This record gives sequence, C-alpha cells and structure tokens, in this order.
Amino acid sequence: MPTAARTYWLTTSCRIRRKDQSLRIERPEGAPVHIPVTDVRDIVACEAVDLNTSVISLLNQHRINVHFLSHYGDYAGSLLTADTSVSGQTVIAQVGLAADQTASLEIARAIVASTAVNVRRVVDRRLLNRPMAVLEASIADATTREQLMGAEGTFRRSAWAVLDTRLPDWLRLDGRSRRPPRNAGNAFISYVNGIIYARMLSAIRLTPLHTGVAFLHSTMERQRHSLVLDLAEVFKPLFAERLLLRLAGRGQLKPAHFETDVNQAMLSETGRKLIVQTVRDELAVTIQHRSLGRNVAYDELLYLEALQLTRRCLEGTPYKPFRIWW
Amino acid sequence: MYVVVVYDTLAKRNAAILRLCRQYLHHVQRSVFEGALSPAQLKRFRHRVEEVIDQSYDSVLVFTFPPGTSPERHEWGVAQPAPTDIL
Repeated sequence: MPTAARTYWLTTSCRIRRKDQSLRIERPEGAPVHIPVTDVRDIVACEAVDLNTSVISLLNQHRINVHFLSHYGDYAGSLLTADTSVSGQTVIAQVGLAADQTASLEIARAIVASTAVNVRRVVDRRLLNRPMAVLEASIADATTREQLMGAEGTFRRSAWAVLDTRLPDWLRLDGRSRRPPRNAGNAFISYVNGIIYARMLSAIRLTPLHTGVAFLHSTMERQRHSLVLDLAEVFKPLFAERLLLRLAGRGQLKPAHFETDVNQAMLSETGRKLIVQTVRDELAVTIQHRSLGRNVAYDELLYLEALQLTRRCLEGTPYKPFRIWW
Repeated sequence: MYVVVVYDTLAKRNAAILRLCRQYLHHVQRSVFEGALSPAQLKRFRHRVEEVIDQSYDSVLVFTFPPGTSPERHEWGVAQPAPTDIL
C-alpha cells in the first residue's frame, strides 16, 4: 500500500494519549511508548483501549483508522476517519451493479468459486475433489445468493471435516462455531478472520467503493460492512486455515495459548501475541504477481482486490477474485 | 528508507526538536531517533527541522540506509528495545 507507514497492533490493554502532536501508548506495566504518528497507517486493537477526543482528532488529521477486536476475538467495530477517496460515480456504478440481478449473481458466483478453490488448495486437494464437483454444479444451478451461500456452506462443512483429520485432537473444530467459539480451533479461526476483516476494511477504504453495498452477503445486514465480508471471504483460507495447519504442524500452538471453558474457548494473552505476530509476518510475505510483474505483499493483495472490484464497477472489466496461484 | 537521526542543539531548543522528531521517528535515546520514512516524509521532516533549529549553532545528523534495508542493531548495556509495531 501507498506509504511507508505501518499497522500497529495493540495486544495488551492500554490507553492512547496525544502527546507532542503524536501518540503515546500507556500500559499498566512498563514505561509509556511514543509512536510517531506519521508512521501509523492504521491500528488494530486486540484488547481494551482507552482513547479520548483529542486523540481521535489527531488520528483523523492523519487519516488513521482504528479497528477493535473484542475480548472474545471477533470483530467489534472500527473508528473510521472521514472518507478521503470519494467518488459518487463509482458508488452509483457499484449500486447499479448490485441491483442488477444477473451481474451481481455473477460476481457472487465468482467469489464462492474462488473461495472454494483457495480452501481446497490449502486444506487438501484430493479429498476435496468430490465436494468441489458438487459445489461447481450447485453454483451453476443457483439462482439466488441464498442458494449460493447454502452451497458454500455445504462445501465449507466438508472442508472443515477434512481439516480436522490433519489437526491434533485438541485443536479439532468439530464443526464451525462462533460467538463464542466452542473450542480452541474455532477460537483461532475466528481470531484470524477478525483480523483479516479489519485489514480488508482498511484496504477498501482506500478506494471509493461503498462498504455497505455487497454482492454475495446480504446488503440488508445492519452494522456490518457487507462488502468487506464479500471480499475478505477469498482471503480467509490463505490466512486462517493455512496458518492453523502450519502452527499445528510445527507444534507451535500449545493448549496454554488458549483459555478453554465448557463449550467456549478464547485465546490467552500469549496466544493472542503469537497469532498477531504470525499474521503480521504473513501479511508482509511477498509473492511475484503474474500480471503486475513485480513482487507484491499479501497485504497489498487485499488492496488490489478492492481495486479490481472498482474497475469492474467503472469499466466493466470482468472481476476475477483472488485465487492462490502458487 | 531507514533513518537514524542524532541531534545536538542548544538546551533551550531541545524540547522543540524532541517534539518534532517524535512525530516522525521512534525515540531510542535522549537525542537519538530511528525509524522508516518515505522520501517525501524525510523531505517534509527536514523542512520542519530547519524551521526549529538555529542553523549557525545547532547540528542534526541524519543517517539513511538504502531503501529496503535496515541497519543491524546491536544493543550494549541498557538500551531501549528496537521499535516494534506490536505493543
């Protein structure tokens, strides 16, 4: 993404203060840390954070968004600065596209298909052959977005069942559950998905797209940026499922990283730090982009995805959602 | 590019230059700052520094490292930990 600025991750509860036209992070233990405000692209707060009006006005001046994850690890909301890239033309085109049954269904189909390809690529190609074939048939038959979501759900369920076979007992999902996640595996996936959702929201805010007008997820859902859900969908397997398998395979995830209760699990403080660090490093991984012909960080892929959809709206170039090509 | 800034100014101007540096870089020692800046940010930073200091008396040293690299950092004795983005 454009500037040299970075995302800051707050993994302990703290207070953000404004000091010397910059930011000062105060934590209950340890000395306060000053962070240069020009170095901040956005902030992801994984724990309770206090801030006040003067901080908010400084953040606004520097166009810094703050994303909040709740104590249980799901996305809790964002403090968004005023829109900077505004283009009514794009929004009108986007709404037109969303209102057009055939066009929006085509985009929704592409998203579901690409997500499935990514899931299959990450989890297991061979065992997911059949579910994939079933999914492709139902995508072709689907005439509403509800049917598409249903077909995706079925595929996802078989993928999670396959995923379970590759995880140690204590990390198994036993079916996806959220709010609250029922076990450690689910807590992990929810947490990473929450982070990806937040990153996607930041990326879309760099384009003029309206975050509430979606193609696959219901536009009617309140208080949720449905478009973010749409676009984040294809990236979730690249981070959540893939990192879960990797960390489990390397034995890096330990039961101590979770706080498990009856029918409920969440990450402990060390677990949260581990995951944030892993995701942060993963976002910085670069890959040779096929059409751009240069190295691109995973983080930038999210932005490119949003740009691609902007193009689809304005110029009608076919929208090809991200697929893991390596 | 990665930047290390060291300043030596008249005591009465120290506070002002400290405040300014804090907006752009991480404070690692009393008069030493480090961090990554884009070329545009560095230019703006320079202009703002020159407005604060007395050009005939104060000195500000800036070490830059080629884009994409950062200097190896050795910590001897009590040192502020390297700046991090996970807090």
